Amino acid sequence: MEFLLNEDQLALAETIRDYLAGTHGPDVLRRLDAGDNRDPVIWQGLVDMGLTGLLVPEEFGGLGLGLVDATLIARECGRACLAEPLVDTAFVVVPWLLAQGETEQMAAIVAGTAKPSVAHAINPWVSDGEGAALDSIDPLRNLTRQANAASSDPLLLDLGALMSAAQLVGLAEAMLDQSAAYAKIRTQFGQPIGAFQAVKHQLATAAVAIEFAKPVVWRAAQALTDGLSSASVHISHAKVAATDAAIQMAETAIQVHGAMGYTYEVDLHFWMKRSWALAGAWGSRAFHLKRIDDAVIGGGLAIGPAHTFA
Amino acid sequence: MDLVYTPEQQDFRAEVRAWMDAHVPREPLVTLECREGFDQHVIWERTLASGNWGMVTWPEAYGGRGLDLIQWLIFEEEYFRAGGPNRANQNGIFLLGPTIMEFGTPEQKARFLTPMAKGETMWAQAWSEPGAGSDMAAIGSKAVRDGDHYVISGQKTWSSRAAFADWGFGIFRTEEGSKRHKGLSFILFDLNSPGITRRPIRQLHGDTGFAELFFDEVRVPVENRIAGEGEGWKVAMATAGFERGLMLRSPGRFQATAKRLVELYREHETKASPAAREAVMTAWMQAQAYAYNTYTVAAKIMAGGSIGAEASLNKIFWSELDRAMHRTAMQLLGAAAELRRFDDGRMNQWLEGYIFSLSGPIYAGSNEIQRNITAERLLDLPRVGAG
Repeated sequence: MEFLLNEDQLALAETIRDYLAGTHGPDVLRRLDAGDNRDPVIWQGLVDMGLTGLLVPEEFGGLGLGLVDATLIARECGRACLAEPLVDTAFVVVPWLLAQGETEQMAAIVAGTAKPSVAHAINPWVSDGEGAALDSIDPLRNLTRQANAASSDPLLLDLGALMSAAQLVGLAEAMLDQSAAYAKIRTQFGQPIGAFQAVKHQLATAAVAIEFAKPVVWRAAQALTDGLSSASVHISHAKVAATDAAIQMAETAIQVHGAMGYTYEVDLHFWMKRSWALAGAWGSRAFHLKRIDDAVIGGGLAIGPAHTFA
Repeated sequence: MDLVYTPEQQDFRAEVRAWMDAHVPREPLVTLECREGFDQHVIWERTLASGNWGMVTWPEAYGGRGLDLIQWLIFEEEYFRAGGPNRANQNGIFLLGPTIMEFGTPEQKARFLTPMAKGETMWAQAWSEPGAGSDMAAIGSKAVRDGDHYVISGQKTWSSRAAFADWGFGIFRTEEGSKRHKGLSFILFDLNSPGITRRPIRQLHGDTGFAELFFDEVRVPVENRIAGEGEGWKVAMATAGFERGLMLRSPGRFQATAKRLVELYREHETKASPAAREAVMTAWMQAQAYAYNTYTVAAKIMAGGSIGAEASLNKIFWSELDRAMHRTAMQLLGAAAELRRFDDGRMNQWLEGYIFSLSGPIYAGSNEIQRNITAERLLDLPRVGAG
């Protein structure tokens, strides 16, 4: 029993965090938004870091890492508000294909030349698909109607929900950092607004929600890795906790930014809109609460102090 | 990350479970906020000690079992699974004990820790004063050196367990004219010393759990001081860290409450609102999240790390969770919520628990203070008004 991310996992996540901070800052989001939304150079950078092959077995040229590692990278993608379809392709579709024994596309996915996306019946659209464009509030989402039939495989839904939860954690953390930074430089009544307790306490409350969403996401990733029969419940828990933290953080962030936060000029809106998009994607809060309800109140899941992990 | 218990950990769980099932009182004890109930809880402390379960994480030399934090979590899970009573000596176990282990001399360890582990001495904390609550550095009670004694004068208040406990600990101003955090010392005192007057304070539920303490030239030996003269603030902050941090509120307690809340919901399902249903699920989710977080912190500490300002996030989370769970239960109980005893004679433990839960966001540093700490130390926002 050890509920701790190991040194290698943390080091890899930190490398990716630094890489994205250096190459994918708010200026890049603005450039993409003003142009074509996607940039082959950014995608190639992710490929060169090995991220498209993160979950692909080594025999197909990948890194052969696991779902916990993938959630840590998905969190970094959220933190950077990454627009490229890395999470959907490499962390959702790849493990889903592998679970079915489908390895045909793996080499091309690792090389970055194939970016398969699969819609689930719960949200029959995907980012960067082949079908007709849809108009998302997230300007960088490139949402398209799914051309082929949507899947209804619960594993696909679980993977999508888990990786959305991980991104929502990163999005929330980024909004917390942006808001704290803004509260330090914006002055009113002769002092930084971050010195006012009314501002401090809102940010602290959001920080609490984020802190207690994180371990739920890692636990869900491990539950799916371990093949627990209760993994779906833990994934639903992760999705609800991360969604609540991100939405609460987004509302706090715009409040702290004041009227500036209501403008297109301030960076915040990119993160806020991605949070809104992912909150509903791969099963809404209501959908996931229902799954928790069935297990916890319905009685299918053992609960209580002796059932933290079993 | 490995979320499977080892065979040794599973055996340990079975051992705790068997002992608890055989020893936890079948009838709930009377609240420890009254003489009768406190005495019942002291007997329970001694029963625990007889099985060597009193202070499981303490070194064996002081009457503990030297268990690691994962074993402690398993112990706590089983303790609350079995419905174990509140700990009368929690001030000693979770606050003073770790403080003495970190700062005490070998003589102090031998003198104070072993009787604590055996359940022989019950401890009260004496932090607050009438003018020093959240602002603890405003303490005015004095301890004036006179040879090999301190002479203590002043007043403490809202001292948990002080109505019935044997000993107390707190910080006192040992340097004349010193201000704020400076010139304070951490001192232990026998609550039955001449010159101490205890005035139990009637709490809002009508019982008398905490007390005012009046010190009228109370002589306390210098060897009762923990750490150096003038180092009281540092020691108190470490103690407060223990209180907010890992050990005071183990997750098992909240998971047990969440489970009881689910059961209560099932009993009242036909007349419950959808909002209550969601609140019940939130209780389960948050109690689990708190458990995961605690396992993570435990693993970090075992790997040589420490818990810092994150302890404030912890304290905010569990105290507001506990209040929300009991509030939900009160809603589910409807008209019966106000009854201290139900028609069948059972105590309404939800009511008692709800009243107790209201103290959670206040004690151990109010949640406003915790939010300030979070904002200033974790988010690096400007400090204002703190001395």
